[in-house]
Amino acid sequence: MSDRTQPPAGLVGPIPWLRKNLFGSWISTAITLLLIYLIAKIVIALFAWGVVNAIWRVPYNQNGIAQTAICQDAKGLGACWAVIGDKYRLILFGRFPYDEQWRPAIVVVLFVALFVLSTIKAVWRKGIVSPAVRYIALAGAGLILLDNLAGLLETIAAVGFGQHLPLPFDLLAILNTVGKCLLIAGLLLLWPAIGVWVGTLALILVLMFGGILGLAPVAVDYWGGLPITLILATFGLAFAFPIAVLVALGRRSTQLPAVKMLCVVYVELIRGVPLISVLFMASVMFPLFMPPGINVDKLLRAQIAVILFAAAYLAEVVRGGLQALPKGQTEAADAMGLSYWQKTAFIILPQALRLVIPPLVNTFIGFFKDTSLVLIIGLFDLLTMGKIALSDPPWQSFSTEVYITLAAIYIVFCYGMSRYSRGLEQELNKARGR
Amino acid sequence: MVGFGRWSAKTVALAGMVAAWAVGGSALTPARADGTGSATLDAAIKRGLVQCGVSGQVPGFSLPDSQGVMRGLDADTCRAITAAALGDANKVKFVPTTAQNRFTALQSGEIDVLSRSTTWTLGREGNLGLEFAWVNYYDGTGFLVKKSSGVKAAKDMDGATICVQPGTSTELAIQDYYRLHNMKFTPILIQELSEIQAAFLSGRCDAYSTDASALATFRFSQGPKAADLVLLPDIISKEPLGVMVRKGDDKWFDLVRWTFAAMIIAEEKGITQANIDTFADSKDPDIRRLLGLEGDMGKALGLDNRFAYNVIKAVGNLGEMWDRNITPMGVPRGINNIWTHGGLQYAPPMR
Amino acid sequence: MNAIVLDKVNKWYGTMHVLRDISLTVATGEKVVVCGPSGSGKSTMIRCINRLETHQEGSIVVDGTELTDDLRSLDTIRREVGMVFQSFNLFPHLTILENCTLAPIWVRKMPKAEAEALAMSYLERVKIPEQAKKYPGQLSGGQQQRVAIARALCMRPKIMLFDEPTSALDPEMIKEVLDTMIGLAQSGMTMVCVTHEMGFARQVADRVVFMDRGEIVESGPPSTLFEAPKTDRLKLFLSQILRGD
Repeated sequence: MSDRTQPPAGLVGPIPWLRKNLFGSWISTAITLLLIYLIAKIVIALFAWGVVNAIWRVPYNQNGIAQTAICQDAKGLGACWAVIGDKYRLILFGRFPYDEQWRPAIVVVLFVALFVLSTIKAVWRKGIVSPAVRYIALAGAGLILLDNLAGLLETIAAVGFGQHLPLPFDLLAILNTVGKCLLIAGLLLLWPAIGVWVGTLALILVLMFGGILGLAPVAVDYWGGLPITLILATFGLAFAFPIAVLVALGRRSTQLPAVKMLCVVYVELIRGVPLISVLFMASVMFPLFMPPGINVDKLLRAQIAVILFAAAYLAEVVRGGLQALPKGQTEAADAMGLSYWQKTAFIILPQALRLVIPPLVNTFIGFFKDTSLVLIIGLFDLLTMGKIALSDPPWQSFSTEVYITLAAIYIVFCYGMSRYSRGLEQELNKARGR
Repeated sequence: MVGFGRWSAKTVALAGMVAAWAVGGSALTPARADGTGSATLDAAIKRGLVQCGVSGQVPGFSLPDSQGVMRGLDADTCRAITAAALGDANKVKFVPTTAQNRFTALQSGEIDVLSRSTTWTLGREGNLGLEFAWVNYYDGTGFLVKKSSGVKAAKDMDGATICVQPGTSTELAIQDYYRLHNMKFTPILIQELSEIQAAFLSGRCDAYSTDASALATFRFSQGPKAADLVLLPDIISKEPLGVMVRKGDDKWFDLVRWTFAAMIIAEEKGITQANIDTFADSKDPDIRRLLGLEGDMGKALGLDNRFAYNVIKAVGNLGEMWDRNITPMGVPRGINNIWTHGGLQYAPPMR
Repeated sequence: MNAIVLDKVNKWYGTMHVLRDISLTVATGEKVVVCGPSGSGKSTMIRCINRLETHQEGSIVVDGTELTDDLRSLDTIRREVGMVFQSFNLFPHLTILENCTLAPIWVRKMPKAEAEALAMSYLERVKIPEQAKKYPGQLSGGQQQRVAIARALCMRPKIMLFDEPTSALDPEMIKEVLDTMIGLAQSGMTMVCVTHEMGFARQVADRVVFMDRGEIVESGPPSTLFEAPKTDRLKLFLSQILRGD
């Protein structure tokens, strides 16, 4: 009997699939037809509203105020995409100075590039791990530290004693910049992934802050829109994840009861409180405790709040993965004489993290959208800018159009994360399957 | 593998860098009260900016336009104060504040002045360590109803459901009014501005209540549908919306007060942003003192003698501020006019 | 010098007394098979030897070093004691070669090339060098257990512990693993093996130890124990497991 490599022709393929699943019985056929009719009706109606009858532009009077009467008349019949045309820069970039908005535009592109690059496996391989490169990186870090140390000493001297220190601050500032370049170059060579991240984030901060390389300085209060959302989410989760791993390991520690208790208290405290109240504390209570004149930047406060919050939730997800790992893995590692950190880094974490990719990505996606809560401290993220755009009297009735656009932007990022995680899981499971 | 000692040195270096940046990066400027005599003004001069707290979300008062520039009556007030303090209205930094953090932002020094349509009440002036320097809008709580409901006055609204934002003085005003007239009402508390408007339009509540100016703005924004909405004539509370500063800095308080006085005097005299330079050779002593051509009015306040000139050149007189920001909303000036036209804005003489 | 000395070792799980006054000496190069009914404490005893379980009373001296809570001495001991588990416990996210070279590289600080050569030599010894680049999930049970043995051997331990190495295997794969273990025994390794494979015990063991309910009941050369059991408990046990063996 020869090998038959394919099942019979009548059983596979699109037509047989349709016949079986959609038109299998009379009831099935009836429901299918009904649903086709309804779906077609809805799609056509949406198309008519969103494309055919939509209004793409409105006239402006001599004061520059939009005359949206035609949009009002078409309400319900046609979408008023003119609101997006008028407000898209406000929504995307907030109050960033109008002429400098190419900078946050580049920042958004950089973030997307960063995310895409991070999905490429080759980037995560180790680079040139030679002592020379390590020294370059260390030298860079040292120069940066030197300049900051000098600044700190000067501040202490000025505030505490009213003195000025005779240090060459200009030279130190130049060395600081040199140090930053060296550090980034060193990291790029040592481990491309870390270098790419640090370098991109540094570039993003340079573009947003300005003040050097001929860029006009822009205070943090003027940042807004999509860059704020991306900064809070990306920096937040990038820093929260290592903290979460450490907290999860600390919670499972049997040798260090003090560390374990600290981790438990941290996680339970944060989980028992809504994020909005943490942000509220950060923005309202925090300035009252600081001496007058000292202002910790609002964005930094929000960033720290997001990091602490995300780390607590992620810690529990990671802990779930650690618990799910068979005990035998730890025992085998112990029996070979691996130290705690070797065992954790090579055996436990790689497996535990792979197990919890779905809940991890779930938490990431949730926090990406939670960044909109920073409205409470007067920071304008993407969602808030949408609301502000809608506050303008001529455009107040067209919230549907604005929110659809915002939803589309969020979907792009969240679905991207979702897709990537599925691909990651498939690739990791390929290696393990028979 | 790199030995443990090496790694900890690098970790320490990076940790130190982060810590140092966090500390060194923040503005450590203790305010010392010499120089102009006002700690706030000194700090603003040193900074080169006046930090002005606004809402950033209220059309007509403070809302960024499509170019991201803050527009509105409160925003122009900020610009006027900045022109008086630093000579250049562009040196203002708008700090968006929420209803929750507006007072602490002023108390903690995060902002120099709060220009956020805050109602002047005794409670606020007594309890917060802050005080009101001037009222830039005399408003009151009003009611917006649908024409189809047939309601003509507030007394017809016994048993009504009223949409109102929680935690506002509006809520308290309505409670007082209903208690006084032995009527009942059901509050529908909604925080979000767009949601509360949608709720009212969809019929979820019989009436929408907030400051009459906001109601007029909202009604105006409905375009042709504005005719379906009626703003009841009853203003049931006094809502003087004003500018707040910290207590204890009298010279800064004076600066804000006299900025408004300058704008009112300018309107009395017919001086506008466009024609101010034509008054350079005026014989009127009031005008001459206003523009700094004689006397030391500015110096007495710790400012440049040309402070009023700078203010009017930057934002115009009080009427121009109104026309630019509020008139397009379709709100009549009424009691917000200057005293010579029957309104409440009256300035002490500059002499 | 004796490889392993257990002296009056006692262990409790809560109130359950699982090891009662265990005293056992294993000389260097000696092969000891431990057998007994389930719940007799044989796995617990063997796991105490590399401190995967901790004992509350008595002393355990391995390769001249006493087992205490001191972490550094523990690491030293664990390097010299290799263990093979019933459920293989290979690392599924690493290749076979990486499984074997992990400990030599990171614990013995061997350079990568040398570790890989070492690993390949042991993989040849267990007769599966061609599987080096595959993942454990792609191998059969018998192959996985042989890899586990090679992995333990890559650390060049002085003592090998086996905790029921064939109990989780299909019958047709048991032979290949036992053959590997016999080859290992013949090369002079000190072995302590918990197993039910009496044929293997007869062939390889210098001494068989019978445990029941936490204590060592009888111990002696395999011929004596299997042919002339002294205690009733051992007789009962043998009657239960020896079916025409």
